[in-house]
Amino acid sequence: MDTIGPLAILRGLAVTTTHFFRNLFGFIRGKPTIFTVQYPEELQKVSSAFRGMPVLVQMPNGKERCVACGLCEWACPVDCITIYPAETEEDIERYPDVFDIDMSRCMFCGLCEEACPEEAIVMSQRVAIATTDWRGSVWHKQDLLTPAAELETRLTHIRRGYERAATPTVPAVRDKP
Amino acid sequence: MAKITVDGETFEVPDNSMLLPVLLDRGLQVPHYCYHPKLSIDGSCRMCLVKVEGLPKLTISCNTPVRDGMVVDTRGPEVTKARQGVLELLLVNHPLDCPICDQAGECYLQDYAFEYGRRAARTQEPRRKLLKRVDVGPRVVLDQERCILCRRCVRFCKEITETRELGVFNLGDQSVVDIFPDEPLANDYSINTADICPVGALLSKDFHHKMRVWFLDETESVCPNCSNGCNIKIGAARGDVYRFLPRRNDEVNDTWMCDAGRLGYRFVNEHRLREPRVRRANASAVTSWDEALHEAANRLGDLVRRGEPSALATIVSPHLTNEELFTLGQLIGGGLRSTQHDVAVITGAADDFLIKAEKAANARGAHDLGLGAGANGTTIASIRDGITAGTIRGLLVTGTDVWDLWGSEAAAILARLEVLVVVAPNAHPLVDLAHVALPGLTFAEKNGTFTNHAGRVQRIHRALDPGSQPSDGEVFLQLGRRLGMEVAPGVFEPRRIFTEIARQVPAYNALNWDALGNLGALTTDG
Repeated sequence: MDTIGPLAILRGLAVTTTHFFRNLFGFIRGKPTIFTVQYPEELQKVSSAFRGMPVLVQMPNGKERCVACGLCEWACPVDCITIYPAETEEDIERYPDVFDIDMSRCMFCGLCEEACPEEAIVMSQRVAIATTDWRGSVWHKQDLLTPAAELETRLTHIRRGYERAATPTVPAVRDKP
Repeated sequence: MAKITVDGETFEVPDNSMLLPVLLDRGLQVPHYCYHPKLSIDGSCRMCLVKVEGLPKLTISCNTPVRDGMVVDTRGPEVTKARQGVLELLLVNHPLDCPICDQAGECYLQDYAFEYGRRAARTQEPRRKLLKRVDVGPRVVLDQERCILCRRCVRFCKEITETRELGVFNLGDQSVVDIFPDEPLANDYSINTADICPVGALLSKDFHHKMRVWFLDETESVCPNCSNGCNIKIGAARGDVYRFLPRRNDEVNDTWMCDAGRLGYRFVNEHRLREPRVRRANASAVTSWDEALHEAANRLGDLVRRGEPSALATIVSPHLTNEELFTLGQLIGGGLRSTQHDVAVITGAADDFLIKAEKAANARGAHDLGLGAGANGTTIASIRDGITAGTIRGLLVTGTDVWDLWGSEAAAILARLEVLVVVAPNAHPLVDLAHVALPGLTFAEKNGTFTNHAGRVQRIHRALDPGSQPSDGEVFLQLGRRLGMEVAPGVFEPRRIFTEIARQVPAYNALNWDALGNLGALTTDG
């Protein structure tokens, strides 16, 4: 195709003009065909495999599901998670007294979610982490707590993953020699 | 000597020894729970099964004596299958507590489950429910569900402390470890039961839910809390010390340590002095190191220049390393030109096992290096009397132990001084009285050596990085140079100074920094 010369300019203009009129008539008919998303009023629809910022799952009683086992902290390749565990009188005797994620360091890899034995930290679909200072990029436990209902899609997604992982890789003990 | 063949390899072992310790010494990985080198043989866990040719069944290696010509298989399919079976039974009722269990990361059950375990349980019955978080003593917490009944703790209380607090109660699958009613596990060595527990059934309350063990950096060191010098590992993370664990040294502490020593780590983390302070006209202000050292040297040197070194005395801390004490000795003799000094040692309760009366790690070292009383006739008491009588007007204090020795009068006595220079790691009323207060470092931030009560010289290693803060030895060196002490140029370097000590102190002649290893070496007096 000839991409040099005045013909190319006309070709390009034809594309934009076509889109302009298609959008214009679309608005008039009430069926816009544009692909622009009106952020932040409107959010992009993403798949359940999408990894946004990690958040803590909140149980119906308002508490975190996290037991501060420290596996996410260990798994994190950029060391952005800091946990200080503490003891409670409740049945599950351990909880995170401090649970901080430095979002400016987080690289959204999802290893914390994979390491978590309690489904307590999951990758949400939230991506808005911009702040006006460095200090603001550290998210504390209260900021991270998200009701489980809001995270249903992701929780379903990771549970599907467990089933795949449950395929035994260690040979089972045979009952008879 | 007996000749045995293990996994096709033939080697000689001493007669009368059991098979398991021999295998472990060879570096073979034989799983075991109930066997402990310092306790009697129990044979209750059945995990160390091996195949011995000629025996009809697999046998537990911990209770099988070696025999000449023995042929042993430690990793064949038959052995592996038996271990898998034993482990599966141990795991039948074990709760899935790993995320909230402090033992996770150093748990034998986890390790062996990783090696021999199945991915999923084959049982459908609910797991046995037992008591959790049982308050068995002031320093130990028990979780009966996690217990695998290896009885190490029971044997420890029976054989080592001879206090017999713990026992196995009930029979069969109802068996649980517990204490007798109203008789808590409160002996002076109770936290050792948490150490030897191969799972998370017994845990130290002090360390409970504080830190995951995999974040701890372990540094080999020596317990600073009494003159026994128990070998320890310092567990540190995020710039703080979280725990001491005993380290095996058959000459000193076997594999044990006392609770008081183990819990005496907080001074490393808390109330630390970080900046030097100088007091002028009753107001104490933070200054630079340079200024503080200058001020200290000026004030102490003033008495020396006026020709009154006899008005100066030094209180020596038994918490300093040998190298620092040696430098302090040089400072006293060469810089202050003083002969009055003594070691301030707090004494306390002692027993006939590990706990010694001198509550400091290096009192013996201070005496060996000639800094104690007797070398010159000065004692802590005579220094006190000298201050009261007005003959001693300048005092250099290292450590803060003298405050307790002088009791309630300490503040009044010290207030009479013209010059009081204190080098101490922690905030203390004594430091508040000082005209110049210089921060010191704790044992966890230093390299050096301690000499224990029996004359064993042992290395301590730096577990925490003190940053730019100089060690006590460097402070003495700098102070001495400003006072005209004649020493070789260069910074405070423990290794070089230890060589110097070995040359100058007769009892240390045979010692060599590199040859101390991680178990230490005896002085010729010891």
